[in-house]
Amino acid sequence: MNAPVFHEWRNKPLDEVLYECREMLEDTTFPTVRRWREAGGKIIGHFQVYFPEEIVHAAGLLPVKIRGAQVEAIQADSRFGSYLCSILKTSLELALSKRIEMEMFVTHPICDAARNLAAVWGRNFSYPCQILYLPQNANSSHAAVYLRGEYDRLKRAVEEISGQTVGDNALRSSIAVYNENRALLRELYAIKRQTPWLISADEAYALVAIGGVIPREEHNDLLRVVLPMVRERNAKPKDKVRVVFEGGFCEQPPLDLIRAIARSCYVVDDDLLIGMRWILEDVPLEGDPLMNLAEAYIEKSSYSPVQHDLRKPKEKMLLNRIKASGADAAIITAAKMCEPGLEEQVAYTRALDEAGIPYFVGEFEENMTSFDNMEIQLETFVENLLFA
Amino acid sequence: MTFTVGIDVGSTYTKALILNDQFEIAGRAMNRTGFKLAEISRLTYEQALTQAGLESSDVAYVISTGFGRHQVSFSDVAVTDLTASARGANLLFPETRTILDVGGQTMKASRIDPSAKVKSFRLNDKCAAGTGAFLEKTARYMGFTADEIGPLAATSKVPVTISGVCAVFAESEVINQLSLGAAPADIMHGAISSLVDRAVQLMKRVKLEPAFTLIGGILRFETMARLIRGHLQAEVNVPAPDMVQFTTALGAAILGHRRLTKLRENGLRENGARQNSG
Repeated sequence: MNAPVFHEWRNKPLDEVLYECREMLEDTTFPTVRRWREAGGKIIGHFQVYFPEEIVHAAGLLPVKIRGAQVEAIQADSRFGSYLCSILKTSLELALSKRIEMEMFVTHPICDAARNLAAVWGRNFSYPCQILYLPQNANSSHAAVYLRGEYDRLKRAVEEISGQTVGDNALRSSIAVYNENRALLRELYAIKRQTPWLISADEAYALVAIGGVIPREEHNDLLRVVLPMVRERNAKPKDKVRVVFEGGFCEQPPLDLIRAIARSCYVVDDDLLIGMRWILEDVPLEGDPLMNLAEAYIEKSSYSPVQHDLRKPKEKMLLNRIKASGADAAIITAAKMCEPGLEEQVAYTRALDEAGIPYFVGEFEENMTSFDNMEIQLETFVENLLFA
Repeated sequence: MTFTVGIDVGSTYTKALILNDQFEIAGRAMNRTGFKLAEISRLTYEQALTQAGLESSDVAYVISTGFGRHQVSFSDVAVTDLTASARGANLLFPETRTILDVGGQTMKASRIDPSAKVKSFRLNDKCAAGTGAFLEKTARYMGFTADEIGPLAATSKVPVTISGVCAVFAESEVINQLSLGAAPADIMHGAISSLVDRAVQLMKRVKLEPAFTLIGGILRFETMARLIRGHLQAEVNVPAPDMVQFTTALGAAILGHRRLTKLRENGLRENGARQNSG
């Protein structure tokens, strides 16, 4: 394994650790990825949401979440229509501008635009650009077997890049690392739900997001140190409205927007960076690791607008999330031009109306820089709840 | 007796007001805001407590408002100054339907319903044009302090026309008028008149309805209210001089009592913030 790529946070008090995470996250030169490559490591870039990073990790490569950034799509703009979401363009821009260099790129068909990303990417780079075909019908009894085959195909492609065979034991070790990471992230979200005044939405976001650009062992180190510090934090509970934020599953809202929301609400649960925590429980270490990972997608994965599973009607899942987190209200958003996100808003708002749960509807774009209007609208919404 | 506190962290002054459950003012304090918002809000709060003879443990709920509302770490919740002003104006003048709030760096017009809910509002642009900062700079260029603005303008005999309201360009306009022989009092009156033009435009954009209530630090200057009255051809309410800057803090404290009532109805808590479990 390479030397640590993110060391700035070590031996610092909590506020400085959070500051370092935020700084690293907002650095669009991606220092941690660059350090990994400079040490001789290889990178597999993968598009957001449902990607089995364990397979890449087991090959000794760094899986990096390609999820756009706050950069101007100077070169990438010419490769896409104007009607497409921003994350596609800025993701490709990261590669075209050499901010992130990689040995392979993988996308998956979570939406039409994302499915076409591999082809667009492939016309610009000589390295392999693949689509991981997730099962369109998760309810088929053959879905897990089919997905295991896809994961095996991915494993072989990764082996070619790394030059080494990925055995079952290596996969199990990686699954164990990721199981620990999932447990730590669940603990972070438990803090958000139970004592949201101890960590703001933007701080929690930075802690989760940094995991997408560093080795998961390092992320585990970070969370193991930080979570006890958060629990010990001295912060006054406020009488803020508890909300669930929905709409951040793929393209991410700017950190400043999350901060603006956190000023007037406690975000007690959300689908932000769901790609970091889409497997909801531990993956078993015994048996066939690829099959275990495939079954985890079918049986233990988080809902989102880009997953189609009749057992998980999204509006019902949202209501469950609101109930489980003790939320008073929901913030329903979608990234600009995100078809799946915007489509779900219809079902979400209808279900919320029927359940009598207040909600706020908004739209964001990763490159937006002005939040005043949205913040004042949100504050007005909150004040109506507090003082009605 | 239950006490709530409203803390209005304005761009120029920070105000704290303590209100009992009979809606009587138990204490208040005001300081210039400066640059350390957290510190000044704490100091102003403690001064108000001292004046009221209370400890912080006697206070059941604290609401912060104003431009620096999110910097008040000890508040239970923060609300916009629009909502707080509406409650304050409604208590002082229950017939209020339109509020004009002119502060140091902001100007806001809002229309409210009989229950003090904000129906429509407009804010000035992001610069300090047409706000207290413009008047202060105008006065300073002529060698007067902010406190002298009111008495100075009151002695005006032939007001001059000030064409702009830009705080940055005020200096050149003042120098120009002085070189033309205009008296400082007439220039000051002209500056206030220019500000009033802008204020009335803002009020029109919220579809103003009587009764009109004017609040904020600039309303300390009687000339301002008189000119607005003339523009609107209607009476305007102005809180007493010692309350005109405290109306928003008062509204925040009222909201504190309203929130406590709701929390108690819902059985959520008696004191301290709500402790929902996830």
